[in-house]
Amino acid sequence: MADIDTNAVVNEDELFRFIDHDTIESEKIIAPRYSYWRSVFRVFFRKKSSWVMIVLLVLLLLCSFVLPIFCPYRPNENVTLSTSFHLSPKEAMQYFAERGQGGIKWILGTGSTGNSIFYGIWSSARTSLLLAIICAAINMTIGVVVGAVWGYSKSVDQVLLVIYSIIANVPFILMITVLVYVIGSGFWSFIFALTITGWFGIAYFFRTQVLIIRDREYSLASRCLGTPTSRIVSKNIMPFLTSVIVTILATELPSYISMEVFLSYIGVGLSANVASLGRMIQEAQTAFLTYWWEFWPPVFIAAVLTIILYVLGQNLADATDPRTHM
Amino acid sequence: MDYTNKEPLLSLKDVDISFKNGKNVFKAVQDVSFDIYEGETVSLVGESGSGKTTIGRAIVRVNPLSKGEITYRGKRISGKLSKAEDRDVVRKIQMIFQDPAASLNERATIEYIISEGLYNFHLFEDEKDRMQKVEKIIEDVGLLPEHLTRYPHEFSGGQRQRVGIARSIVMEPEFIVADEPISALDVSIRAQILNLLKKFQDEKGITYLFIAHDLSVVRYISDRIVVIYKGRIMEIAETEELFNHPLHPYTKSLMSAIPVPDPIIEKEKSLFVYEPEKMHDYSEEKPSLVDIGGGHFVYGSPSEIEKYKAVRFS
Repeated sequence: MADIDTNAVVNEDELFRFIDHDTIESEKIIAPRYSYWRSVFRVFFRKKSSWVMIVLLVLLLLCSFVLPIFCPYRPNENVTLSTSFHLSPKEAMQYFAERGQGGIKWILGTGSTGNSIFYGIWSSARTSLLLAIICAAINMTIGVVVGAVWGYSKSVDQVLLVIYSIIANVPFILMITVLVYVIGSGFWSFIFALTITGWFGIAYFFRTQVLIIRDREYSLASRCLGTPTSRIVSKNIMPFLTSVIVTILATELPSYISMEVFLSYIGVGLSANVASLGRMIQEAQTAFLTYWWEFWPPVFIAAVLTIILYVLGQNLADATDPRTHM
Repeated sequence: MDYTNKEPLLSLKDVDISFKNGKNVFKAVQDVSFDIYEGETVSLVGESGSGKTTIGRAIVRVNPLSKGEITYRGKRISGKLSKAEDRDVVRKIQMIFQDPAASLNERATIEYIISEGLYNFHLFEDEKDRMQKVEKIIEDVGLLPEHLTRYPHEFSGGQRQRVGIARSIVMEPEFIVADEPISALDVSIRAQILNLLKKFQDEKGITYLFIAHDLSVVRYISDRIVVIYKGRIMEIAETEELFNHPLHPYTKSLMSAIPVPDPIIEKEKSLFVYEPEKMHDYSEEKPSLVDIGGGHFVYGSPSEIEKYKAVRFS
């Protein structure tokens, strides 16, 4: 401050001057236009993990959906060749090369019937992925629609809460076991068992989310403008719950894969004629120290699938939250 | 204004509003009766929790009444209505909200927010007509048509409140409940919003119920003032009458709380404190809201009313 000459006479006119004020100009917004979905993708692809996971997911999808078309998995193709049972990767490669059938098919060895583990895991991964996608689609659709009505209507709330309390208290495993026992253990009956009450938990979670934002002031404003309830739900409530929906999806999708593995492992899952990761693990469980190549590949694929879906889901859930868009 | 021969536009008669939470009943509003005439601005003032907003929301039919009725142009609008009546009332009575950040849907464009009421009542001939109406109103509130594709969070508080005003005015309502429309705004833009409300009143003859707690704002905008305390009306009078001759001790305490823009006077000013237990004795005489003359109503027991009359007309 020392170098300021306090005695200097400053003419105020030189320091300040009037500027024109344009009322129209002052209303203009110079910030770039905001688009919700564009911002979602910008934030999503800003993360490196999203790219890595997408590449992995595409690879896995190719292997599990495209590969079995050209190289179908036949578990019983070598069932008559008892010498081909339980061959380690090294032995299998050698064994089939000698018979002129060598190739990548045997890179992970053979199983208890001389089946190719490598083809087996991809065929199983396809089953698991299909199962997860179909179950998630059914449960999410019913859950979100019912949850929205459940949260919005007070009379529906009372009825559904009672039903929910009853269903939530029946052990899930018990219900699945009984259902699989009654309706059989095929692919579609397994999906039926997983979806018959599976949507209830999602609906309950969604109801709570709707309750939180139902009575916000803009919804009151919409009511004052005479907006019908259906449009209040679709325009005032649902858009705010996009990130909630994606978050549920992010946890639901991988959970079905784990659930299939778990249920097949304890013996109430898919039937023996459907190749699934759970069944492969179950079949190899007694021998996972001796025939390790039969046990670890399906475990690894199940884990990788779960991780990919979970990380992608979480990244997408983060990106759909508009607070991350700034 | 001479009110004796006019029909009230909106009239509240012995309105009680209570909120129930299990067995606890909280009476938010008790025995509220007042009339609002066409083209005027009536302000409802009182401290936080006095029931101002509750009354405003009862008029737009969000809060149900537990007693009494509200009539609009002589027709009852409280309680159950037929669908056609309900739609008619919804269109004619609009509301402007306190917090413009909370009352606009953050995930909708300004175009949708303003058109919402138009869609609900199909108040347009075709898409072109709707766009014209929306563009006209956005210019009327001092915003630009290019704002229509934007989202509420991109606007300043004053701009958002003008969007809130635009969406009510575009419905061409006759009556607007303005629930503290400027208390959430920066002081520098409050006048802009008030002038906008006044402009629409002059152009379209809209009647306002203006809910506020800031008396200097109220004095500027209103024709008459209703003072409310703990859900009961304490005093009703024309604005200048009330400011020049506040009779009820609660009104006096409100007046004494208005800041004076002079530090010396403000420092010396003694605040008038309202202590209902000490000031009123209602053990023998029951109080009521009485017109002491010239449309000046005061709440009090017969002996208090005599006292108020003596003070006013001495």
